[in-house]
Amino acid sequence: MFPRVRAARAQGGYRVEKFDAWLIRLNRWALQWILAAMALMVFANVVLRLTTDTSILWVEEMSRFLMIWLTFLGAGLVLRYGGHIGIDNLQEAFPRQAKLIRGVVFALMLAFFVFMLIMGIRYSIFTWGQTTAAMEIPVGAVYLAMPVGFALLILHALIMMRGYVREKAVLADAEFDAESAASI
Amino acid sequence: MITVLFIGIVVLLFIGVPVAFALGGGALLAVVWQGTIPLIALPKYMFSGIDIFAIMAVPFFILAAELMTGGALSEVLLRFASQFVGRFRGGLGHTNILTLTFFSGISGSALADAAGPGAIMIRMMRKDGYHPEYAAALTAATAILGPIIPPSISMIVYCLVYPEVSPVALMLAGVVPGLLIALAMMAINHYVSTKRHYRSSDYRPSRREFWINTWRALPALLMPVLILGGIASGAFTPTEASVVAVFYAIFAGRVIYRTLTWDKLPGILSRSALMTASVLIIVSMSAAFAWVLTVSRVPQDLSAWIVGMQLSPIAFMLVVNVMLLIFGVFIEPLPGLLVLVPILAPIAHAMGINDLQFAIVVIVNLTMGMVTPPVGGLLAVTSVVAKVSLASMTKELWIFLGAQLVCLGLISTIPWFSTVLPSMFGYK
Repeated sequence: MFPRVRAARAQGGYRVEKFDAWLIRLNRWALQWILAAMALMVFANVVLRLTTDTSILWVEEMSRFLMIWLTFLGAGLVLRYGGHIGIDNLQEAFPRQAKLIRGVVFALMLAFFVFMLIMGIRYSIFTWGQTTAAMEIPVGAVYLAMPVGFALLILHALIMMRGYVREKAVLADAEFDAESAASI
Repeated sequence: MITVLFIGIVVLLFIGVPVAFALGGGALLAVVWQGTIPLIALPKYMFSGIDIFAIMAVPFFILAAELMTGGALSEVLLRFASQFVGRFRGGLGHTNILTLTFFSGISGSALADAAGPGAIMIRMMRKDGYHPEYAAALTAATAILGPIIPPSISMIVYCLVYPEVSPVALMLAGVVPGLLIALAMMAINHYVSTKRHYRSSDYRPSRREFWINTWRALPALLMPVLILGGIASGAFTPTEASVVAVFYAIFAGRVIYRTLTWDKLPGILSRSALMTASVLIIVSMSAAFAWVLTVSRVPQDLSAWIVGMQLSPIAFMLVVNVMLLIFGVFIEPLPGLLVLVPILAPIAHAMGINDLQFAIVVIVNLTMGMVTPPVGGLLAVTSVVAKVSLASMTKELWIFLGAQLVCLGLISTIPWFSTVLPSMFGYK
């Protein structure tokens, strides 16, 4: 039932490749279930409201939290597909310096990711003492999405870095590619 | 602080850092530079930007469109459209436009339209003797209807950054301008087809076939009715309508058209989830950016400055249009909305311009940026699916762009187009 994952190209040793395939599969699997769960619970609430005029209180909160997790867990995988919207005219204008430009872009992104990872951890600890209104779980547990997401971004960025900087290699398969991400 | 913010973001964007991280990174640089604001505020605003129930319409509308387009939908809609306009000169071109217009009522984005049914129709037009460059240009130009005719991801995001506008009213407001653009595209197709002697299509359905085609298209045609009707009548909120659309699409694909198989579901889910993540990460990061702007009083100062110039509303509209057209060439609609709307919309409001009209002008304008040469997401995708070069396609595109500019001019100067439908439902 898992979609087959095709690695863009060999990047690093066999062990890295294996870990990578596993990482992508797990990452996708999490995203699929989060989105399915969101749709199911919000739909259930609509049906309940129309039929019995009641609704489950925690659904609104829970689905919002799932959406936050979906966003941060998905960002790393979108990076792998080259799906983040950006302006690459400069690279195209200077093909000879393109590798250097991509290297700088990656270095800057990694710096930002590391910074946000630290901020995310601090913010999660900072808010752990508060509880959410409906489900009464620690707010920090919801906000853990940010450090986890940025850790994933760092992982994905490190794995794809060599292939991307050298020849702009990104993941592509029948299900998703860079173009469909920019389509909104 | 504000200088650092702008220089930071412009440099990051220019060298090719993705928009999301350029916005986040720019905000980070500005806060570090300023020194007294605690950094912990950044994650706070990044979360508050997406911790909103109303945004859930974004993933659900994406998912509904993906579920609906998985199967034979394009073909069904195409046959249905063809029996109304196929017999005219340039019939297949008209069919293409009409199908994409229907399709815009199902999908919320432009590229989905061009890459899905658009790709099929370019192939058919080419077989029927149309120049492939022309077919590609027509498809790309018409695909901009995706975000203009509801449901629309751009509209949901617009209401998010400028909450004075209700999403219900905005969705209603998009219908008439969308149809106006569709008509304009048909007029151009008629003109070009007459000049180049493109044929009408041979498809002449009998009365029986006509009803079969209509019957088969009905479930697909009902989806926009369900979404827009449900929202306009107040039966559903936009978020509820979006999730109802998801399950309606599953029902239609599974029970009626039988093209949706369960083994396709994981792929559709992960695709929709990835599209959602790529949108919402920008929304999240831009919330931090917008907060830095507000702290530095940029919108307020800019607004005071522009109001101080004492432009007439018409002159202001003209300035905004030119600015957005230039801006739209370089940046995709969504980041454009997130950065510009918080600044521009309050000014327009203060000048007495109708909020809905202004919203439609901004959305039409930024979406047109996707087909404005030399760069544009829609152009690139369409030229790939049509297998024509970007340059040759661009030559065929100018006439369509010209017509769209005329439409934009009309929408900018006459509020009626944007307000007629919302006012029927009691929205001003």
